[in-house]
Amino acid sequence: MLDFDLFEQTYEKCLKCNACVVNCPVSNTTLDFGGPKHLGPELKRLVNQQQTIDDKRIELCTLCGNCDMSCPENVHVSTLTAYAKAIHSDQSGTKFRDFVLSNAETVGKLASSFGPITNLAMGMKPVRKVMEMVMDIPAERQFPKYRFKNFKRIYHKKTAGTKRKVAYFVGCYATYNAPEVAESFIKVMKYNGIEVAVPDQKCCGVPMFANGQMTQGLKNANYNINSLLEYTRQGYDVVLTCTSCTMALKKEYVSFLKSAGAKELASHVYDADEYLRLLKDSGELNMDLSPMKEKAGYYAPCHMKAQGIGNPAMDILELIPGYEIQDVGAGCCGQCGTFGFKKEKYDVSMRIGKPMAEAVKEVNADYTVTECGMCKNQLDQLTDKVVKHPMQILAEAYDSYR
Amino acid sequence: MTEMIETDVVVIGGGVTGAGVLRDLALRGIKAVLIEQQDLGHGTSSRNHGLLHSGARYAVRDEEAAIESYQENLILKKTIPGSIEETGGLFAKVPEDADEYVQKWLAACKKVGIPTEQVTLEQALKQEPYLNKKVQAVYRVPDGAVDVFTLVIDVVADAVAHGAKALRYHEVIDVLLDQNRVKGVKVRDVYSGVEKNIYANIVINAAGPWGTQIAQMAGIPLHLINNKGMLAVFSHRFNRQVINRLRIPGDADIFVPAHDVTIFGTTGVNVTDPNDTSLDRQELERMLAEGQALIPSIHEMRMIRAYSGSRPLYQESADLNDKSGRNVSRGIALLDHQKRDGLAGLITITGGKLTTFRLMAEMTVDLVCEKLGVNVKCTTAEEIVPQRKVEGYFNQIDMAPAARNKLKSWAGTKAVQIESALREENTVICECEQVTWAEVEAAIPEDGRFHLGDIRRRTRLGMGPCQGTFCHHRAAALAVEKGKATSEEADWALKQSMIEREKGMGVVATGETAKQQQMMAAIYLVSLGLEREERQNV
Repeated sequence: MLDFDLFEQTYEKCLKCNACVVNCPVSNTTLDFGGPKHLGPELKRLVNQQQTIDDKRIELCTLCGNCDMSCPENVHVSTLTAYAKAIHSDQSGTKFRDFVLSNAETVGKLASSFGPITNLAMGMKPVRKVMEMVMDIPAERQFPKYRFKNFKRIYHKKTAGTKRKVAYFVGCYATYNAPEVAESFIKVMKYNGIEVAVPDQKCCGVPMFANGQMTQGLKNANYNINSLLEYTRQGYDVVLTCTSCTMALKKEYVSFLKSAGAKELASHVYDADEYLRLLKDSGELNMDLSPMKEKAGYYAPCHMKAQGIGNPAMDILELIPGYEIQDVGAGCCGQCGTFGFKKEKYDVSMRIGKPMAEAVKEVNADYTVTECGMCKNQLDQLTDKVVKHPMQILAEAYDSYR
Repeated sequence: MTEMIETDVVVIGGGVTGAGVLRDLALRGIKAVLIEQQDLGHGTSSRNHGLLHSGARYAVRDEEAAIESYQENLILKKTIPGSIEETGGLFAKVPEDADEYVQKWLAACKKVGIPTEQVTLEQALKQEPYLNKKVQAVYRVPDGAVDVFTLVIDVVADAVAHGAKALRYHEVIDVLLDQNRVKGVKVRDVYSGVEKNIYANIVINAAGPWGTQIAQMAGIPLHLINNKGMLAVFSHRFNRQVINRLRIPGDADIFVPAHDVTIFGTTGVNVTDPNDTSLDRQELERMLAEGQALIPSIHEMRMIRAYSGSRPLYQESADLNDKSGRNVSRGIALLDHQKRDGLAGLITITGGKLTTFRLMAEMTVDLVCEKLGVNVKCTTAEEIVPQRKVEGYFNQIDMAPAARNKLKSWAGTKAVQIESALREENTVICECEQVTWAEVEAAIPEDGRFHLGDIRRRTRLGMGPCQGTFCHHRAAALAVEKGKATSEEADWALKQSMIEREKGMGVVATGETAKQQQMMAAIYLVSLGLEREERQNV
């Protein structure tokens, strides 16, 4: 049995104001969810030193973190809901599908080994029908492509020799699905005279937390903390291109583990654009950016907003002469990591995503910019605009500079 | 014209003592009417820890009270299971307390037969993570937690089911005398103002701290020491078991888990007015400072409210120098005023403890039987008050598991009614304590006026951290919508409950509770435009 009575004390501060419920993308879409207030601080209070309550409605929580952002009392709502998920898995077991989805890394390794076949199969209707029947993964749901030439096969640098040294936490998505994002990042760093090392790493754990696999998630967290601390203690900065991984390293490891190591690591972690903004502020940023006459719509992922660092991607991309970027100002995309791949959540996922799709349409830019691979997946499915990562645009601006 | 009622016995006071006496009378087939000036249990009976004593606290100093407590502890667990949680209790010795007392206490418990079991420090801290890590010895005793609200309500309901009558919101305005004999009481309905004469062979004064006033109306002297104690409620339940400090009983040394909260107290100050339930911040600060010995993080934990009430202590010759009242016996005082004052037809039952209320009732009714020439044995040591825990209900209702859990341990005799109402409407209206409208509807008393306090005591509505900020207006609005109250009644109920909630919150209002109070004021006074009114004594 999981024991975390003393883990999270912030629930005591809840004033029941409902700000989290009002800002919850799921609560705004369906009445079947108990809401972040009830399944977070309220439930925690009701089980404290009493009988545990397993509320299966917690499956509808996406761990997007909008509740944390909206709470005026700084209650760590999503930490509490993550534990409610863990209790639910612990008491009611885990579906095979959720177990598979939560192991994004293993899936990534396998799928990318057979990359072309995987992608072909995932595009075939009969295959998807079988998956829907056996796995409860809806046939209509688009999947990201898997690359045979994944980032692990491309880049092997374990150390950096420059003044500023970056330890890159790649994340599963940029490793197996979008190595071009990782390559662009390496390039952008190189243009700034910074060498990038890729330390040993495992999946950040976010898909595990989201599927109640808390024990495995924390195992990965500890592995990553130990591996990355070896770098930070030698003066490396940990930089990431995935907003969810960044959230995990900055906030979730600290909230869940409350360990000195997690706190130490968190103080060295940066989102890629946040890191570039830092370079800009200290006058170190290479400003040799070629002008671009393009108009982009920026879509901010929930896990970017939840970091509380503003919109660093827009701050940086606006430095490109002639470049026009506008925040589409939409809420949650509805994909929410593994959530949108589940049959029973598909309808909710689509409904959450609808306002985002409309916002993108309204802005009517040349393409959409977002950091998160899962948001991209939903954008790909719900809009007809191309979706790019900020690093891809920056790399292009540096490349074309004469 | 004054209404007239005739009965065998009038019981004054709808606290736990009066409730116990009423049920005992009813089970023995004696006609009785209970008079309570406000809601059941509104006085001392609900203004305490809700601790089912094992007797261990009194073992050293008051052997008799210890033995009585332990015997009654066992009886109540068996006969009133619906209002008792068998939590068990710990006595913990902290470094600042005398070492000698431990052996003395163990020997005293052994002598009176109260079982104690030593718990390893490791075990104790595992079970009670907030307990001081520096504890030196911990013993387990069979303490328990009592829901004092449901206890009184259920005992009276069982008495009524056996033919007794209970009049809530009726105050005694006179004791009717016929020379040297009490022949009844004159009461007034506090809502309608209607006066009634109730004639009886015997009047029982079970009015607790108000007992002196009743004696005065009968023209006899009765000196009670009203010893006021303060208690604080923490926003969540942080202990699994009762935690007592292993020392000579003193202030602020007991923590009782009560459903979803922890209740901490108490103090002892003698007061003259039984209606004095004033709260003092400095008294609270002293309590917290003292409580730190057992729970070091006490200052970091959110308190949601505080309250106070008076213990009616009786001693024929009171020691006026004992300001704390701790040296006055907690023992039972059964006064036959015929023998004591030459006034027939009046009996006073006072002193004692929550834990010994049944025994007090048994002793009182034994005396009544003797006087009435009735020869029926007391059965309250065996007859069970209907259980609240229910099996097989609510599983098919689509509702929050937390609300379902609560109902399963709460619905009791109303399970069928609540379940069928839930099929129509299953919305939780009090989120902190997971109370549904179906439950509120089933709990609204048939007599009296729409009153949120009455509902609170029967459902826990508004007892959580938000103290009614959100559920009071929901309950009031639904009551009007469903024809349970007029909008004037709802308005009045909202104002009264807000005054009452604010009083308890005000004294602990730092940090979150201060913000909560502000939010409550903003919602009721600004958004809903409720006008503040002077407190009425209801």
